[in-house]
Amino acid sequence: MIEHENDFESLRRLLALKRHEVPPPGYFNQFSDLVVQRIRSGNQASRYSEESLEQVPWLAKLLQLLNGKPVFAGGFAGALCLALFLGMIYADRPDLAPEPLLPASANTTSFAALSPAAALSQSASPIGIVSSTNPVLSIQPIAGNFGQPNPLAQPVGFTIPGN
Amino acid sequence: MIMSAPVTRTDGSESPAPVDEGVLVQRARRGDLAAYDDLVKRYQERIYATIYHMTANHEDANDLAQESFIKAFHALKSFKGGSSFYTWLYRIAVNKTINFLKQRKNRIQMSLNDLDFNAEHNPDLVALISEQTPRREVNLSELQEKLNAAMLKLSEPHRLVMVLHDVQGMSHEEIAKIMDCNIGTVRSRLFYARQQMQALLSDYLK
Repeated sequence: MIEHENDFESLRRLLALKRHEVPPPGYFNQFSDLVVQRIRSGNQASRYSEESLEQVPWLAKLLQLLNGKPVFAGGFAGALCLALFLGMIYADRPDLAPEPLLPASANTTSFAALSPAAALSQSASPIGIVSSTNPVLSIQPIAGNFGQPNPLAQPVGFTIPGN
Repeated sequence: MIMSAPVTRTDGSESPAPVDEGVLVQRARRGDLAAYDDLVKRYQERIYATIYHMTANHEDANDLAQESFIKAFHALKSFKGGSSFYTWLYRIAVNKTINFLKQRKNRIQMSLNDLDFNAEHNPDLVALISEQTPRREVNLSELQEKLNAAMLKLSEPHRLVMVLHDVQGMSHEEIAKIMDCNIGTVRSRLFYARQQMQALLSDYLK
């Protein structure tokens, strides 16, 4: 072992150079202050987050549950991934039409295809305000710059009975 | 609370004797930041130096040293006192540094500290740069750069053993406690690290 120490004597002398590498002057004067400041600000931040969690008790309970049992956290993450995956699959299938939000009836199946006047004649609404639900294809002006009609634009009109 | 007796300084003034480390640790565990500030002041230079010698980068060493002390403060409740606070703190700093080095593996960038005034008057170093070596024209700054570059080529465990023993002067036993391994492993790592360094710096060593 002593032989080995002698073998590396010049290396050890060279390594002594490392002891002369020093940080900028005054660096250690404020080091501990910075550490304590960061601890204080961290404590404050965690206090704020605790206070804000107290206002949303269900979220606090959920986080407590997930923190306490890693199995729940894993299950929760798995469920989120599965939901995302299913969402991606169904989003890619155009043949699956979305469910209508309102219950469909025989009278309203072709409602969108009717003109406002026809819709008015079929409507039993006491107020009688009817609007067209035909999609507006473009936001371009109805008439062009030189007074020519724009073929892509459709006029939208309202007819109020009695007027 | 344990009060310490005043100690007379060399300039004649009296200052309180340093408070026992165990007392400071107990107070810090109860959230006393003034006590923890004392602990930081005690070990900041050694912790910073170890991290700096491992990373060869002042900014990284600064961040990692601060984070190590912050992590240690928050983990104080789990400190059972099985080892000294100093060893425990070192372990936190060393693990943090090794994790950091693993992440930045492919983007090593040196940001070396300046050499202090005494380096130019160190007889060993003067001898190294003035002797009839194949690179006798080398100056201290260049030597510093080559030395750090060579150290970065060692694996983290080998570099750590070399830093703790040959630069910071720790015993094999202390290093074994910090690295949580046996003394034989420390010795063999030290031997291998020195061999590698000798080969890497052969142009600069007699």
